[in-house]
Amino acid sequence: MIPLLILTPLILLAALGAVWKARPVHAALLLALTLALNAILYLVLGADFIGLIQFMVYVGAVAVLIVFSLLITRPGDEAEEIARRPRSLVTGLACSLPVLAVLLFMVSRFETAGSAATDARSVSIEQLGTTLFTTHAPAVMAVGVLLTAVMIGAALFAREPGKKTPTPSDS
Amino acid sequence: MSLEHLPRLPQRLVEMLLQNFGAPEWLVLIAGFLVAASTVVGVFAGGFALLSLVERKTLARAQNRIGPNRAGWFGILQPVADGIKMLTKEDIVPAKAEKILHLLAPIMIVVPAILALGVIPYGREWIPVPLELGLLFFFAVGAMTEVSIFMAGWASGSKFPMLGAMRAISQMVSYELPLMICALGVVMVSGTLSLPDIVDRQGGFHLGFIPAWNLFTPWGLVAGLLFYVCSIAEANRCPFDLPEGESEIVAGHMTEYSGFKYALFFMGEYLGLFAISGLGITLFLGGWQAPLPGLDFVPTWIWFFAKLCTVIFSFLWIRATFPRVRIDQLMRFAWLCMIPMALLTLPAAAIWHFAGRGLLSWVVTVPLLLIPWVIITVIYNKRLAPTLRTYRFAE
Repeated sequence: MIPLLILTPLILLAALGAVWKARPVHAALLLALTLALNAILYLVLGADFIGLIQFMVYVGAVAVLIVFSLLITRPGDEAEEIARRPRSLVTGLACSLPVLAVLLFMVSRFETAGSAATDARSVSIEQLGTTLFTTHAPAVMAVGVLLTAVMIGAALFAREPGKKTPTPSDS
Repeated sequence: MSLEHLPRLPQRLVEMLLQNFGAPEWLVLIAGFLVAASTVVGVFAGGFALLSLVERKTLARAQNRIGPNRAGWFGILQPVADGIKMLTKEDIVPAKAEKILHLLAPIMIVVPAILALGVIPYGREWIPVPLELGLLFFFAVGAMTEVSIFMAGWASGSKFPMLGAMRAISQMVSYELPLMICALGVVMVSGTLSLPDIVDRQGGFHLGFIPAWNLFTPWGLVAGLLFYVCSIAEANRCPFDLPEGESEIVAGHMTEYSGFKYALFFMGEYLGLFAISGLGITLFLGGWQAPLPGLDFVPTWIWFFAKLCTVIFSFLWIRATFPRVRIDQLMRFAWLCMIPMALLTLPAAAIWHFAGRGLLSWVVTVPLLLIPWVIITVIYNKRLAPTLRTYRFAE
């Protein structure tokens, strides 16, 4: 209980910082901190495998994210970003509140179902892999499609609107 | 207590001493772990000092020089002199630097290296932290290195560190992929993520004298060689030392650092080198297993360190021999050669796992790996090899 009381405020603070910081690199580093703290939370809860995977995948991914955030943004973007803030706040809340509502609903249902809380320590990697690729195979594939869509979206965002991207041979 | 238990002696002594004084159990446990951790840190900090001298001596020998020979007998006190110089140097922080990140980066580069060293089994009795998910832990903390190198480059607020950091990230991300895939083959065959168990599975001998290491299987040979190349790239060593290429971008991410922080970067780099070599030995070279039967009387950790010295010496040799590659060559090599070959080791390892170590597995896996290797080599040499560059202004 005590580790949770220490960890959760830290995670919240880091996450708020990640959203609030205008500089993309600071935001990305704070995002890495948030995800790393989440990994520690998993370790505290006894889900060693998920915790280490979380650390490995997300901290490494953030390194790549930083590179892209530097390649895509320009130094002048920060003032713009701050000026856009009120509007961003509304859009962000409109997107995140339904997600939060769905999550809360699911969690509350899980609690009332009164299922025996299985100890995370008792689940082996083998069981985890088997369930992931049999019972939850559609979800895994859906996530794959989602990630591809995100990648295409990022490529679209990175392009200047209405301008042909210069190839190295042009310059 | 035999020589085998020698590295654990400090831990046992502290535990026994505390128990004698009636300390509570949690205190004994924590003190024991602290002493075990300090043993590892002490051994490898000493190894770092020694390696910095051995490296300079080896490079000097390869380049027909004498190398450091002023401080002490054969320059043996050179690391001490270097240490005093580093500690007494002025610590300069550039005016445009981001102070906090600039300070954090060198610390965050040493921490994952030490953490990674903690899970490697050095001997039958010397396993500092016997984690069940040791291999995963190793890669998880290794992911931190990229972020800290980037922090160093970014926080310096200068262009050469930034260039070095960008190079470091693209290089480390590209080479981490084949590195992990190669390790996955070992996990598939051993059926465990625990490093001590992986070493145990490699015990024994074939035909009475060939050690049952993973290196002496078709998939293991390919995966081991790929792992070796990737570990050079991960440790940012020549010929893959682009992030800190002195002749191009000063010292890369370390340009704006001086004094003790600069020394910390070097320490992190060398500890990382020890860690990745130790992992390679554990996965492919049988860890602490003896290379020949009948050598069981030698303590197992001596075998581990003998292998470690051999691997590290080969790194020095490569550094003295090969020129630095260009960034386009580096990336092309990773994505077009390393990753396809690494992916092929997975089906080969699966066949090995299900069909056993018999003749059938050899007949299937050797062509499976050999034919694509020939194809990739031919294509790479014919079509994708970098052409001779002509420089307009340098003729």
